[in-house]
Amino acid sequence: MIGSALVIARKDLRQRLRDRSAIVLGLVAPLGIAALMSFAFKGTDTFHFTLGIVDADHGPVASALIQTLQQPSLRQIVTISPAASPSLASAEVRNQKMAAALVIPAGFSASVAGGHPLAITTVTSVNNTIAGSVASSIASSFVAQLNADRLSVATALAAGAPATQAQRLAALAADLRIPEQAVQRPLGAHELKTISYYSPGMAIFFLLFTVSFTSRSFFVDRAQGMIDRMRAAPIHPVEILAGKALSVFAYGVVSLATIAVITSAAFGANWGNPLAAGALGLALVFSVVCLTALVIGVARTQRQAEGFSSIIVFGLALLGGNFVFLSSEPPLMRRLALLTPNGWAMRGFTDLATIGGGFGTVVLPIVAILVFSAVVGTAAGLLASRAVTA
Amino acid sequence: MTILAIARVSIRRIVRDRTALFFIVVLPIIVIVIIGATVRGFSTFRVGVVDLGAGQAGRQLVTALDRAGDIQVTRYSSVAALTKGVARSEVSAGVVLPAGMDTIERRGGTVTVGVLAEQANSTQQAAVTAVSSVITDQGSTIQAARFAAAHGSGSFDENLARALSVGPHVQRVEVRTVQAESRANTLPGGFSYSAPTELVLFVFINALAGGAVIIETRRLGMYERMAAAPVRPRTIIAGETATYVTIALLQSVMIVAVGALFFGVSWGNPLAAIVLILAWAVVGAGAGMLSGTLFRTPEQAGAIGPAAGIALGMLGGCMWPLSIVSSTMRAVGHATPQAWAVDAWTSLLARGGTIISIAPQLAVLAAFAAAFLAIATMRLRRVLA
Repeated sequence: MIGSALVIARKDLRQRLRDRSAIVLGLVAPLGIAALMSFAFKGTDTFHFTLGIVDADHGPVASALIQTLQQPSLRQIVTISPAASPSLASAEVRNQKMAAALVIPAGFSASVAGGHPLAITTVTSVNNTIAGSVASSIASSFVAQLNADRLSVATALAAGAPATQAQRLAALAADLRIPEQAVQRPLGAHELKTISYYSPGMAIFFLLFTVSFTSRSFFVDRAQGMIDRMRAAPIHPVEILAGKALSVFAYGVVSLATIAVITSAAFGANWGNPLAAGALGLALVFSVVCLTALVIGVARTQRQAEGFSSIIVFGLALLGGNFVFLSSEPPLMRRLALLTPNGWAMRGFTDLATIGGGFGTVVLPIVAILVFSAVVGTAAGLLASRAVTA
Repeated sequence: MTILAIARVSIRRIVRDRTALFFIVVLPIIVIVIIGATVRGFSTFRVGVVDLGAGQAGRQLVTALDRAGDIQVTRYSSVAALTKGVARSEVSAGVVLPAGMDTIERRGGTVTVGVLAEQANSTQQAAVTAVSSVITDQGSTIQAARFAAAHGSGSFDENLARALSVGPHVQRVEVRTVQAESRANTLPGGFSYSAPTELVLFVFINALAGGAVIIETRRLGMYERMAAAPVRPRTIIAGETATYVTIALLQSVMIVAVGALFFGVSWGNPLAAIVLILAWAVVGAGAGMLSGTLFRTPEQAGAIGPAAGIALGMLGGCMWPLSIVSSTMRAVGHATPQAWAVDAWTSLLARGGTIISIAPQLAVLAAFAAAFLAIATMRLRRVLA
């Protein structure tokens, strides 16, 4: 029995490799698109911007703000560039030489101690809103202490402290530190790079095309009387189906593995622990085999098979997050993704690339994919033998 | 008349194919909805929050985060779930509100609010900056209440209320924002982003995949049969071009109508939008005809067409704005007609452009259409000769 299935699988694979579109879909297209994404997002995975500084004040408070901007924790997101005047800074922001600029007005240091403090201005561009809001946030964090000190004095005066003591209170308040601080804690996870998401994303998307390819070739075979001729030989229908399934499985595994190896080596994609990624890949390919069998079972003609498989391929790819970062989708879409085997696979590959770990990280996705496959496979089993004997 | 007859037959063949209808009608709308729901603009940080029992102070901080314009708050049930959320990039940073935040503040201690983020990840660092600013701002009233309790009169709680009521009357050191550039070079977020980009993407992909019909016609020997009749090759080619332009226009009109009626997309200056849609339909028709003459089998057109369409769409800014990629990739992207079409839509939707402001893009699209049609016609003539 295994012998005949192997012969059929070998013949199917040979036939598929002869057709160049199989190689395009299984290898060239996913690799090409992954390469494209890798080039497109080179250097953009990290956030860094140039911030212009117009220091018309030259006082101690302005110097303290500039020092804050140059502290080590901010160095990786901001590079400071001095600008001579507000109008020059605006021009630089407009022509995108600077992403944003901070203007510290003349007399700023002296004014913060008085009743009418001057304002710091952030010069922004609609084309770089994140840089604008980060610059504003840094400036706001800095002036928060000044404002807290001013509020402390005003509240103390309102609480009955004599007005004559205002200056002494201001000096005391200047030594205070805001008692609510953000403390950063490391996550122990790698950053999710675009290439590490879209390498499996595109590999899986094009793997799904196997469903349409194989189901189509089954109906072409049947129309040409190939299936009937096979049945005339002492071969059980199950062996014919097993042979077809085996060819899908082998094609899928080779395609996924090759893309994983090439994108890791050439573009620095992180597929995580090879054993865990391999197990996840095998489970996914198995679900693709079951989906193919289902299409063969449900469709009655080649046209129907093409129609069903197109809907399955694009429906699953859209829901499962192969095109858009699953993590940026609304919560409802993220839940819907978990109804699809590719959605679970994307979650598994994302966790392997970020949280890391081994087999334990992907146990849940693998179980979910196998449950999906069992349901689809059972339905297909009931329907597919009919397609062979029809 | 002959042209119309040829076009009518071809259109009927395409429309009868339910798979083609799925790609022309259903798929673009689903994609517009999904991308539109995902791309909510490129201007906010998503921040996750888990409350370990911080009490009133914690709730106030969450409200303050929610009110900050550049932060979008998502709640998580546990630190583990929040950690996974940050690792998976569902949120750019995670805020852990500590247990007993209220008590610590009353006892005069310093509250440390944990912010989960990686030092090496600059996007997460930028989100931390935005969160820290809100946290320190909130802490200023606590500082004021303690200071007043020490140097004035009343309890911490009385002075906290006093600080909150005095706060609005104390002149603050402000950080103001001035916009130096208000003309956007990317499309707005949401459906106004997804509808025009998907229009550009799908009209082209469908045209490429639709090349299969020409291949099928070639295979069936229908061109030879048409040529046997007193019909000139020029007429046959014009008929096929009319088919593709019609299909592309139908699809465009459907996307424009669905976008405007259901998702509130404003398509900008009507005249400019109509001319742009027409220009893109002709570019699509040219690409479809080219695909019909370049590929050998309908399977090749069906398989390679969408893959090539997606790749060109990525290069041309249909999947992400070209303003976020490197300048080299931006230049390479403009070798595709998609980039020019997306640029033109950006001008219409984001900058109130008119037909004059998109004239350069229209000229480039016309050149692409002319080149595609010229090559396709040459190849088709060879078949008909």
